[in-house]
Amino acid sequence: MSVAPLLAALVVVGGLGVLPLVGSAYALSLGYSVVTFTALAYSWNLVSGYTGYVSLGHVAFFGVGGYTTALLVTKAQWHWLLAAVAGGLVAALVAVPAGAAMLRLRGPYFAIGMLGLARVLERLALGWDSLTHGGRGLYLPPIIDTRGVYLAAFAVLLLLIAGTFWLENSSFGLRLLAIREDETGAESLGIPTARLKLMAFVFSALPTGILGGIWAWHLSYLDPGTAFGINIELTAIVGAILGGAGTVWGPLVGGLGISLVGEALWARFPRVHLGLFGVILVVTMLGLPRGLATALMRLRALPPTRFLIRRAVRQEWRAQGLPLGRAATAPID
Amino acid sequence: MNGVLLAGLYVLMAVGLNLVFGVMRVINFAHGELIVLASLMTASAFTAYGTSPLLSLLVVVPVMFLLGYGIERLVIEPVVDTPQMVSLLTTFGLSLVLINGGLLLWGAEERAVPVLTGAFRIGTLAVPRVRVLTFGIAAAATLALYAFLRLSDWGRAVRATAQAPTMAQTCGIDVRRVRGLAFALATALAALAGSLLVIMIPVDPQVGGLLILKAFAVVVLGGLGNLLGALLGALVLANAEVFAAYYVSPVLSEAVAFLVLLGLLLLRRHDPLAVGTA
Repeated sequence: MSVAPLLAALVVVGGLGVLPLVGSAYALSLGYSVVTFTALAYSWNLVSGYTGYVSLGHVAFFGVGGYTTALLVTKAQWHWLLAAVAGGLVAALVAVPAGAAMLRLRGPYFAIGMLGLARVLERLALGWDSLTHGGRGLYLPPIIDTRGVYLAAFAVLLLLIAGTFWLENSSFGLRLLAIREDETGAESLGIPTARLKLMAFVFSALPTGILGGIWAWHLSYLDPGTAFGINIELTAIVGAILGGAGTVWGPLVGGLGISLVGEALWARFPRVHLGLFGVILVVTMLGLPRGLATALMRLRALPPTRFLIRRAVRQEWRAQGLPLGRAATAPID
Repeated sequence: MNGVLLAGLYVLMAVGLNLVFGVMRVINFAHGELIVLASLMTASAFTAYGTSPLLSLLVVVPVMFLLGYGIERLVIEPVVDTPQMVSLLTTFGLSLVLINGGLLLWGAEERAVPVLTGAFRIGTLAVPRVRVLTFGIAAAATLALYAFLRLSDWGRAVRATAQAPTMAQTCGIDVRRVRGLAFALATALAALAGSLLVIMIPVDPQVGGLLILKAFAVVVLGGLGNLLGALLGALVLANAEVFAAYYVSPVLSEAVAFLVLLGLLLLRRHDPLAVGTA
């Protein structure tokens, strides 16, 4: 293992951090969408990567956060940052009953259920004209300086990276992974699967809602198609999957990659955007089902992140008098 | 009555999904898009050459059968027996490719095949003629599939693979070819459903997601591998939709499939996919 990848990661993250001081307006707006989508990939990863419950409707919380923020700003004149945080909290509140119901479904049922939830909420936003102005959308005051939204999204991203790292090295995270690998087995070991899944779900909805709120303020306009946009959903999912779901590095590698690639292709071939996501998904699943970051970790090009489990394994091996060879320090995924 | 006739089509939409899941334990997320693809092909033939949809069926269905076989070989076969997440996301990716392909070739606007307008009058009831026709074809196709699975050698091989793949292999069944056949058949059924669908309602490349929701609701309502169950499920769903559209609002009727599905899944504690096979 070398220091180089860690340094590279620091440079990337640090570079994103100082971007508002040095970057042009274009760089900043590109940076903003890169940061947002990477952060969304992290939020999705919290629940889908770790528990294995593939959510195809996470954009539901993005939309709820967006609408809450837009309404608080336009109707109650809240400060946008406060409104975005409130948006996140409302999304988390919505996630409690939604998760309690949805997480009883497994595998493809959960995926379809979430897909349906997002579409039903979109319909609701479209139909509840008195509140959301339906398809005409809500207009927020235009913003001139985008540094604020950039920094807010960046802060959410940093918190998510730190949170994911903590998750990797906590018993909570390991229990979630146990659910992913074998839910019935986890349950029979006394893991309160229902409660833990719901917690992960709600923790994941909170930043998603905040990001949705910041997005609404950034756009100065929100309609159901934007708030619950399928492209937002897909960029997050494809980013996390491409990088490697259920890892710390995955969403960073995949999220940065997909949003930069997306930006380049979106401008040049806007008509095949969706299909390209599809192709990337299929190819990743067929070739690298565990993602780029996991492959890089296996090649030791990226440092491992699961210290807790590694320590536990080492202790166990020592207790059994087994040699601590390469295997004991190999990345565990 | 409209609900009953609509149900025939829903059954047809659901059997393909059911077949693929039964044989390879893969939920084909792209099933709705395959239906839509056939709809668009039929609509194009009608607009360009005025071909009757019933005539173009003869081309569309075999073409889709071959396409299905190709897709299975290329994309689905490698993800059989992988974690659910892998096959789920693979077929989801496939559906995105198909949607995008549809948008590129056909554009985003709705396509329709307005043939057989008008209705039969039975007393005070007006029964659209087109619904009677689609119902008849859908019912015939479903029965034909059932007979094929029950009576032919290939059908028996399909059922054997669904029940015990390893055992089927030991008995000399080429399970990979059977899986290819099952997927191709499912695609052909989707094609038939799509060609019939477009006669009834206009279709655009993006409605596939809605269709898969309906097909899924039917499968779950009826229980897998249960033809009678699928019929009942389709009846419940179709009638719920027709009533919701009439008494509440047409906007809501699109959400009905989802609400029915959700309510059911939450009521039933056991995994509906765990029982039975095609």
